[in-house]
Amino acid sequence: MYLKYSLNNKLRFLKKIFQTRYIKPKQTLIILGLLSLLVISFVLGITFGSYNIPLSNILKSTIEPIHKTVLIQIRAPRVVLAGFVGASLALSGASLQGLFRNPLADPGLIGVSAGAALGATSIIVLSNHFVPETLSGPFLLPLAAIGGASGVIILLFLLTKGFKTRGTTYMLLIGIAINSLAGVCIGILTYISSDAELRSLTFWTMGSFGGVTWPLLLPAIIIISFFLFWAMPSSRNLDLLQLGEIEAQRLGINLKKLRFNIVISSAAIVGISVSLSGMIGFIGLVVPHLARLLGGVNHSYLLISSAIAGSSLMIIADLFARVLVQPAELPVGLITSAIGAPFFLYLIINTKKA
Amino acid sequence: MSIEINSVSLRINDMDILKDISLKVKPGELMAVLGPNGSGKSSLIRIISGDILPTKGDVVIDDKPLVEIDVQEQALKRSVMSQSQQILYDYTVREIIEMGWIYEGMRESEINVKNKISEVAEECYVTHLLDRSFNTLSGGEQRRVHFARTLLQINHDYEKVGHRYILLDEPTANLDLSFELKLVKLLKNKAKQGFGILLIIHDLNLASKFSDKIAILYNGALSSYGIPKDVFKSKLLSNIFGIPMDVNPETLRVSYY
Repeated sequence: MYLKYSLNNKLRFLKKIFQTRYIKPKQTLIILGLLSLLVISFVLGITFGSYNIPLSNILKSTIEPIHKTVLIQIRAPRVVLAGFVGASLALSGASLQGLFRNPLADPGLIGVSAGAALGATSIIVLSNHFVPETLSGPFLLPLAAIGGASGVIILLFLLTKGFKTRGTTYMLLIGIAINSLAGVCIGILTYISSDAELRSLTFWTMGSFGGVTWPLLLPAIIIISFFLFWAMPSSRNLDLLQLGEIEAQRLGINLKKLRFNIVISSAAIVGISVSLSGMIGFIGLVVPHLARLLGGVNHSYLLISSAIAGSSLMIIADLFARVLVQPAELPVGLITSAIGAPFFLYLIINTKKA
Repeated sequence: MSIEINSVSLRINDMDILKDISLKVKPGELMAVLGPNGSGKSSLIRIISGDILPTKGDVVIDDKPLVEIDVQEQALKRSVMSQSQQILYDYTVREIIEMGWIYEGMRESEINVKNKISEVAEECYVTHLLDRSFNTLSGGEQRRVHFARTLLQINHDYEKVGHRYILLDEPTANLDLSFELKLVKLLKNKAKQGFGILLIIHDLNLASKFSDKIAILYNGALSSYGIPKDVFKSKLLSNIFGIPMDVNPETLRVSYY
């Protein structure tokens, strides 16, 4: 009896978070389909690579020790990271496209990834000169990137007076200004960097999931999951917002709170993603459009489906990055942009209304 | 119990948009607001909706100052239909209407909501459009859909909220003659059911025939306010609209060409 009651309660809680009431039956099917795609890409992701480890071996645990190490220490964290980063970028893209009511909005727009990039760039270029040997380690770069991203979030918060300011256009303009400011600083750092530093800079800006370890990944997963769930309940309000900001307010929406929820969650998940994997283009922009083409525009469906689709697409893109030019590795951002850019062009040409 | 507008003035950039307006929208009454373009009608609706604060004066809804009512409660008490806005993504008509359903209080209300959507869709003659994409509709059809959404917003079962009001800013723009008449008749009906209605409209004959009270704004000031019979005078209307107008004192029909 009690168990049933508490189960019902949990179900109601989940229903509220995901606003399931506004998801249509057809869309539920699509979400389930995307989930299976995610499982398939995960399996492909951990079985293929420079070593192929057949799934049957994993399941029967007749797996060689070295393969086991590769699987657990190298490949699994990599695939998991790719999945979470894909989900983050796509969800943030979908919710920002809703908040700014602009189909061309993407996670880079609010300047958070530029902030993360600035943090990372400073470490790549300056750490040799200023940071003592004992402090540098695998944590330094992501932490600096997170610092950069947080700096931008705080700046955004202060400049918009806690998101009180009227009009999201204002926030958009601030994001653009922050982007170009960070661009200038990155430019200066690039200018003074040595050849070796320049090379690692270039690779960082193209993105990669290589070299991630569990101790680095686990906290990231926890924070990203938290903010993924944080953003979901705003889906219905994002729908109402499409009527216009004034209309939304007349329908009882607290605009300040909505902006706060969307911008903070986007900033957090994008900041962490960029910090761990570098700049990966086009997933945040393109995946929400794919999801809309698949099943509809209501955000209760769009946010979930974008996150799942982004996750599996990123795992697949990373798989390509690993196997296309074996034994070398392509930057994954190169692959997502190579697929995303033509699709983006197609979108622009086919946009009905400017 | 009513929406009271108490000596409201609005000044933007040293321009007087509204000057000392006092009006009352009572439950069960249809009030028409008339006036030439730029006379401050829409600003008045924006102030009552809480979009902007008046420079002077205040708005009181059912004995509670508007500034003390939070946006969610306001949304349950009154719905607003403003002049059309564009919607970017391809929502269906049903989804747009459902956006008016903001009452989350009842758990088992899904079927209830569906019935209410059908009800308002029927009232606004958009039932056959429900599964169409909103952006493919004509201007007049889009207005009717927004109107249905406006009706749904205050068609909830939350009794505690008390009297309910509908504010409409030129709802009949883009509508053909038959729908214009149907809409105003429907509003009249809603007033009879107990809703308080404030309607901005340009058609003088519809206003005189169907409204209980009429307020005429001119250059931001209230130039006349009362029952149609007292307000509709040839000389007054001619002065305000700047063209000779002739009012038949019996039928209150206005001819101006």
